[in-house]
Amino acid sequence: MGEIITVTSGKGGVGKSTLSANLAVGLAQAGKKVVAIDFDIGLRNLDMILGLENRIVYDVVDVMEGRCNLSQALINDKRAKNLYFLPASQTSDKNILDRDKVEKLLEELKKEFDVVILDSPAGIESGFEHSIFLADRALIVSTPDVSAVRDADRVIGIIDAKSEKAKAGQEVQKHVVINRIKQDMVDKGNMLSVEDVLSILALPLIGIVPEDENIITSTNEGEPIYYNEKSSASKAYKNIAKRVLGEDVPFMDISVKKGFFGRIFG
Amino acid sequence: MTLFERIFGKKEASASKAKDRLTIMLAHERADCAVPYLDDLKRDLLEVIKKYTQVRDIHVKSENNQNVDMLEIEIQLDK
Repeated sequence: MGEIITVTSGKGGVGKSTLSANLAVGLAQAGKKVVAIDFDIGLRNLDMILGLENRIVYDVVDVMEGRCNLSQALINDKRAKNLYFLPASQTSDKNILDRDKVEKLLEELKKEFDVVILDSPAGIESGFEHSIFLADRALIVSTPDVSAVRDADRVIGIIDAKSEKAKAGQEVQKHVVINRIKQDMVDKGNMLSVEDVLSILALPLIGIVPEDENIITSTNEGEPIYYNEKSSASKAYKNIAKRVLGEDVPFMDISVKKGFFGRIFG
Repeated sequence: MTLFERIFGKKEASASKAKDRLTIMLAHERADCAVPYLDDLKRDLLEVIKKYTQVRDIHVKSENNQNVDMLEIEIQLDK
């Protein structure tokens, strides 16, 4: 049976879809059979980050409503052969997901795939609940700013309340990914550090992603940053994928690697 | 980090301000949602009590002092 990993954050725009896409690519490259599902109904985005927007015929709601087969809706990535993608529906009715139908679909996918990655919508409404209630594991993304950390804390507080696994007395694994760290600002005391965020959220860390302009160009081109091997963000996502697979990878030292200040004073 | 703190320390400590503000805010917010099932509990209680008598309102408050977690339930009956 496959594992369901939900990528969530509370606040929007902190990098959920970018993490979902790159984690999906990373796990697929490691030989896992992966399906990434965009759960942000009405605001489809993961398709463009993966560069698969032109291949969409059916979406996740079409599958759940029986308008097509699962295999008709799944898009197989050409670069990462083990990666499949199921797009969000663009309907404006965000309450269209039905709990029983979500469960049926996810149970079916778990039989076929090693990993099911759910890219959750921002917020704590029904879309979020649908993406979390069957999760085996949650990755909570936050940037080092007060609003993102606050929202992440709130989401962490309600994951267990919405999770079937937690209701059955089991633990939903929760890990934090800290995104868009600018180490030179941290060094000057002008940005919350990784340690600051972790001490507030009180959860184990699974990844630190440095601020990286290459993300913008890679999103422009529809090619996940994972493939841009020279970029620091790519390295960070690679490490996250390895840690998700249980490898013990040391956290990279962004203070030395990044920027002028790191080199002089690091 | 420490070198910079020593040089610029007091002037540019916006990160530590952020941390303090967050810590205080979250201590407050966490207390509010310490009992995530509060609304469901209230609804269920209301239904049970309605079987026996008329209820005006129910207040459920969670409290914790040191090692005792408590739920305080106040049921206002209709006259």
